[in-house]
Amino acid sequence: MNQQQLIEQMVREIMASMGTVDKASEVKSASTNTVSKSDYPLGEKRPELLKTPTGKSINEITLDKVIDGRVTAADVRISPETLELQAQVAESVGRDSFARNLRRAAELIAVPDERILEIYNALRPYRSSKSELLDIAAELENKYSAKINAAFVREAAEVYGIRNRLRQE
Amino acid sequence: MLDSFIADHAINLQRAEEAMAIDSLEFARRLVDINIPRGEIVKYTTAMTPAKVVEVVGNLTVLEMMMAVNKMRSRRIPSNQCHVTNVKDHPVQIAADAAEAAVRGFDEMETTVGITRYAPFNALALMVGSQVGRPGILTQCAIEEATELILGMRGLTAYAETVSVYGTEQVFIDGDDTPWSKSFLASAYASRGLKMRFTSGTGSEVQMGYAEGKSMLYLEARCLYVTKGAGSQGTQNGSVSCVGVPAGVPGGIRAILAENLIGMMLDLECASSNDQTFTHSDLRRVARSLMQMVPGTDFICSGYSATPNYDNMFAGSNWDADDYDDWNVIQRDLRIDAGLRPVTEDVVVKVRNKAAKVIQAIFEELGLPAVTDQEVEAATYAHGSKDMPNRNVVEDLKAAEEMMARGVTGLDVVKALYKRGFEDVAGSVFSLLKQRVAGDYLHTSAILDKDFKVISSVNDPNDYRGPQTGYVISDARWEEIRNIPNAVNPEDF
Repeated sequence: MNQQQLIEQMVREIMASMGTVDKASEVKSASTNTVSKSDYPLGEKRPELLKTPTGKSINEITLDKVIDGRVTAADVRISPETLELQAQVAESVGRDSFARNLRRAAELIAVPDERILEIYNALRPYRSSKSELLDIAAELENKYSAKINAAFVREAAEVYGIRNRLRQE
Repeated sequence: MLDSFIADHAINLQRAEEAMAIDSLEFARRLVDINIPRGEIVKYTTAMTPAKVVEVVGNLTVLEMMMAVNKMRSRRIPSNQCHVTNVKDHPVQIAADAAEAAVRGFDEMETTVGITRYAPFNALALMVGSQVGRPGILTQCAIEEATELILGMRGLTAYAETVSVYGTEQVFIDGDDTPWSKSFLASAYASRGLKMRFTSGTGSEVQMGYAEGKSMLYLEARCLYVTKGAGSQGTQNGSVSCVGVPAGVPGGIRAILAENLIGMMLDLECASSNDQTFTHSDLRRVARSLMQMVPGTDFICSGYSATPNYDNMFAGSNWDADDYDDWNVIQRDLRIDAGLRPVTEDVVVKVRNKAAKVIQAIFEELGLPAVTDQEVEAATYAHGSKDMPNRNVVEDLKAAEEMMARGVTGLDVVKALYKRGFEDVAGSVFSLLKQRVAGDYLHTSAILDKDFKVISSVNDPNDYRGPQTGYVISDARWEEIRNIPNAVNPEDF
């Protein structure tokens, strides 16, 4: 990291701690992105960048290792880092909303299957009170560092309130 | 609710004023102008309101819309998808039908259930059977949202499609979702490395009773902007299972083509329906399908029935197994690539038999109710479930439930296949599961070739710019299309 980048990062951290992150600084410029469409498919062209959430390289995921038990279902999953790379590929072809989805997804990898299903059901109409949705947002933010998803759930809580889609007590 | 979601998440506000200021007729002309590339169109369509985009396509005839589809389809090479279901939910028949459908050229396959609790077996049989026919087929099982996600998490499906969205708030709520719950679901799929697309279609709001007096196409455009805003890579649309509604009104089939086109204009993958049956007229059903067959779409049918009509559990399809020869001849007559290929009987019998044997082996290894040799034999030659022996349904359902309870995953299937000597199929199912580690197939319009190489609109974008550009049928592919087995050689006379 050079001095320029160090200063930028410090500014960003200070801004973030003040809760006033400048939107422009959040949008990654092309130069800070690791990959773009020319690196796609990453599995073929950039396998060295791809790791499982368990820290294995994608090349270690082989049929032989599945058979002898060295690779398990926990290894055959996508990692947050890989989804970030795929989001960068998406941005390089102008698919920003798809990229935002992939970044929300990257945060959700840490959330267990069961809890994912519960949160999905809680977001359905008339299932939750406003405070229950805000609790979910807090859980996503504090327990799983899922900040984008937390903001998304808070936004839902707000809209559901206005449109009377919260659970009627 | 929908308007605020669309405004906040779907429309590119930086270009919105510019896009809205363009005259709609002038923009409609850009859609059919070969000198204006796809990317230049998408720049503005993603910055328009749903009402504006409807006004734009309203200026086009069906012929002009087909020209626009030719240019706006996301992936360069067109493809096709089928349904594999049967009245008995017979897993051996599903596997055999899937294997045959794979040989016939479908790149994606979808199953659903007669009895909900059969879902794990149907998903398993489809995934494995399809890989026997052609490695790299993507499979899904259409059921209630949360259950569908569980099957994906377990590695029994490779993607999801039936994530429904609607064009009015009341219908969205009646569908038991909101744009936020559906967006969360989209992210949940991607977080498990699973491809996913939304689905919607004209007529759904009418059918569900709250169209609010708005045009069906406008409401569908709203669905597509919600789809875009949620970050889905694509849509299955074209009225789909509500086709009876638009097909019954003047210009309704034109509106279905228009909704496909709007999906493509929003840079979404489009699985373009030609799905549920809407008429007993063979002439009308072909005319309706030519709208997508001729220009080609990402998936021309999002449900060509790979079984006879009576076995289609999606309420019957516009095309079914008895139409395979006609579809192939239409491709040959018009020199178009509509995704399928002629086959020979011996190849079909061979893959059907192998798929049935593979399911027999897996069921035994996983401790599921036995598949008899009689069932294998019947599935090899079956036309439909009327030719299949009945299974013990109660026993099957109990076992399917228990299979989910003990957490059987796709990797267990791989191991079972390997142990029973089906190393090639084990390798294919494994390679399919491995896709979710890299995530390349999450991208727009992604399919896999037989070597599990991803073909999507990122590495195979539609670059149509007029005659002899974009997708052109290769010599090898034309050989395949033109060589129908029932053609007679002049020398034989």
